[in-house]
Amino acid sequence: MNESLAEIIARWSRVGRAGLLPAMIEAQEKLGWLSEETLTQIATGLNVPLAEVYGVADFYARLYTHPVGKIVVRVCDDVPCYLAGSEKIVATLEQRLKIRVGETTPDGQYTLEVVPCLGHCDHAPVVMVGKHVYEKVTDANLASLISDHEKVGSTQKAVGSQEG
Amino acid sequence: METKLVTLNLGVINPTNLDDYIARGGFQALEKVVRTGQVNEIVDALKASGLIGRGGAAFPTGLKRELAIKAEPLHAWPAPANVPEPYRYSSAFVVCNADESETGTFKDRWLLEGDPFRIIEGMAITAFITCSTVGFIYLRGEYLLAYARMSKAIEMARARGFLGKQIFRDDFEFDIEIRRGAGAYICGEETALFESIEGKRGEPRVKPPFPTDKGLFQRPTVINNVETFANIPFIALEGAEAYRKFGTAKSPGTRIVCVSGQVNKPGAYEIEMGTSLREVIFNLAGGLRANRKLQAVLIGGAAGAFLRPDEIDVPLDFQSLAAVGATFGSGAIMVLDDTANLHGVLYRIARFFKDESCGKCLPCQLGTQRQFEIIARMGQAQPVAPLLRELGATMRDASICGLGQTASSAIVSALDKNLI
Ligand SMILES: Cc1cc2nc3c(=O)[nH]c(=O)nc-3n(C[C@H](O)[C@H](O)[C@H](O)COP(=O)(O)O)c2cc1C
Ligand code: SF4
Ligand code: FES
Repeated sequence: MNESLAEIIARWSRVGRAGLLPAMIEAQEKLGWLSEETLTQIATGLNVPLAEVYGVADFYARLYTHPVGKIVVRVCDDVPCYLAGSEKIVATLEQRLKIRVGETTPDGQYTLEVVPCLGHCDHAPVVMVGKHVYEKVTDANLASLISDHEKVGSTQKAVGSQEG
Repeated sequence: METKLVTLNLGVINPTNLDDYIARGGFQALEKVVRTGQVNEIVDALKASGLIGRGGAAFPTGLKRELAIKAEPLHAWPAPANVPEPYRYSSAFVVCNADESETGTFKDRWLLEGDPFRIIEGMAITAFITCSTVGFIYLRGEYLLAYARMSKAIEMARARGFLGKQIFRDDFEFDIEIRRGAGAYICGEETALFESIEGKRGEPRVKPPFPTDKGLFQRPTVINNVETFANIPFIALEGAEAYRKFGTAKSPGTRIVCVSGQVNKPGAYEIEMGTSLREVIFNLAGGLRANRKLQAVLIGGAAGAFLRPDEIDVPLDFQSLAAVGATFGSGAIMVLDDTANLHGVLYRIARFFKDESCGKCLPCQLGTQRQFEIIARMGQAQPVAPLLRELGATMRDASICGLGQTASSAIVSALDKNLI
C-alpha cells in the first residue's frame, strides 16, 4: 500500500476519534515513528485535541513519539523464553549492536527492546526483527539473523511475518 | 489424548481457501440459525451447553447473549450522534477479543492463523441473535500473520455473501472490522479494549455497568475470546447434548492448553475438560528431558498460580483447579524442571505487572512497583513473605480491574506452596 499520510487520515476520519489508534499505527508503519508534525496532522484530521492525541500515543508501548531505529529488535524475555535462555540472547545482542536495551545504534539502524511474551512460547526463545518473528533462536544463528537484515531481508526462515 | 472439536480444521484446511472450510461443513451452522430464525432456541442451546468463556474470567457464554438481548430495548435506535455514523444503526456490537498477551499463551494465534473462518462464523451467529450489524476483532499488534490471514478471510467471506448484506436472508447484514493493538496487555481487559477502540487510552472502566448493558460506545456488547467464538458453530449445529458429551458434567467441552517450558514437545493441545495435568505434561507434551525432575508448574499465565509436583494429578476443569487454588486462566501451562531458576521466573512475573499496570488506580500502580522491588532484592537475607502477602491482599481487594487483582496471585501461590 502506498497511501500518503493524508490519505490514511482521510480514510479513518469517517469514524472520527475511533480512527485514532489505527491512524497512528498506519502512520508509524509508513514513517517509522510519530513526530509532532505527524500527530498534529492526525489531530486536525480526526478532530481530537493534540494533547489527547499525545496522551493516547504515550499509552501504547509500541507507538513511538521519538525517533527509533529503522529496525526494532524485540527480544522476548518472558517466562517460557527465559527458561529457554533469553537472557543470553539479550546479552549477545547488546554486545553485537554495542548498545543497551532501550537504546538505538548511532547509525539509526537498530533499536533494541526487551518485550513480554510474543505468543510463540512453544518455540522459545523468540526474537522479532522488524516485522519478522524468529523462533528457537540460538546464539549461533543470531549473528546471521541480524546481519542478513542489513542486506535484503533474512535467509533465516521467518515465521509469523506478514504474507504478500 | 487430544480431542478435535474446536481445532478439527487446524493443519487440515488451507486457511486462505474458503472452499476448504465449506467442504468441511463450514457456515452450515450460520445458515441453519439464520434460515430458521430461532433466536431463543440458539440462546437456550448455548446456555444448556454449559459453555464458559475461554478468555479467563469464566463467564457463561449463553447468559452473556441473553443479557445483551434484554438490554437492547432500553437503548435508543439509531444510537446517539456521539457514536460514529457507520456504527449508529447496529443495535448491539459483537467483539472478538484477540489481544492474546497473557504470558505463555499462544492458542488464539493458532486459531486465528489456522482456521479464521470459524471465528467469523461464531461472530456472525452471535450477530444474528443479538441484531448486531457491526463486529470488531481486536487483534494483538504483533500478530502480523494472523492479521494478514484474518483480513483475507473477511474479504473472502464478504465476497461469498457470508458477511455483508443479505446473509442467507434479506434482512440480515453483518460485517467485521479488525482493530490492531499497539503493545498494551491491559487492552485485553474488556472495558479497556472498548476504550482503545474508541480512540482513548486503554484504561479499564469501573464495572458495573457491564458490557452487555453499556459496552463499546456505551451500547450493549457481546465480547468473547477467540476460542469461545470458535466453539459456537458446533453447538449451534449439533446442539447442547452433543456438546456435553465432551468434558465433565460441570465443565463441558474441550479446552486448548498451551504447554511451554521444559518439556520435550511444547505446543497447543485441545483436550477434553477433566484430562489430568499429568497426562498433558507427560503424554501430550512428551514429558521432561532425561534425568530431570519436576520443580513446579505455572498454570493460567502470569496471573495464574503455581502447582507443586505432587499436585499434577489434578483434572483440568474449572472446579478441580479451584480446589487446588488455581484457575485455567488463559490455558497457559508452563513447566519448570529442577534446573529452572524460580527466582528468575518470579522476577519476570513481577516485572510484567509493574510494566503493564495502566496506572489508573493507586493500589495496583504502587503495589506492582513495590512487589517488583521486593522480588528484585529477594534472597538478601530479610524475610519478604509477610510483606508480599500484605501487598498481595491490598492489590487483590482494592484494585479496579483484574490486572491488579491477580498481579500477586502467582507470587503468593509460590509462597503458599513452599516453593520459595
Ligand atoms: C488484564 C486483563 C487482560 C485480559 N486479556 C485478555 C485477552 O488477551 N484475551 C481475552 O480473551 N480475554 C482477556 N481478558 C478477559 C476479558 O476481560 C474478558 O473477560 C473476555 O474477553 C471475555 O470473553 P469470554 O467470556 O469468552 O472469556 C483479560 C482480562 C484482564 C483483567
Ligand atoms: S488494577 Fe491496575 S491495570 Fe487495572 S485499572 Fe487499576 S491500575 Fe489499571
Ligand atoms: S515467552 Fe517468549 S514468546 Fe511467549
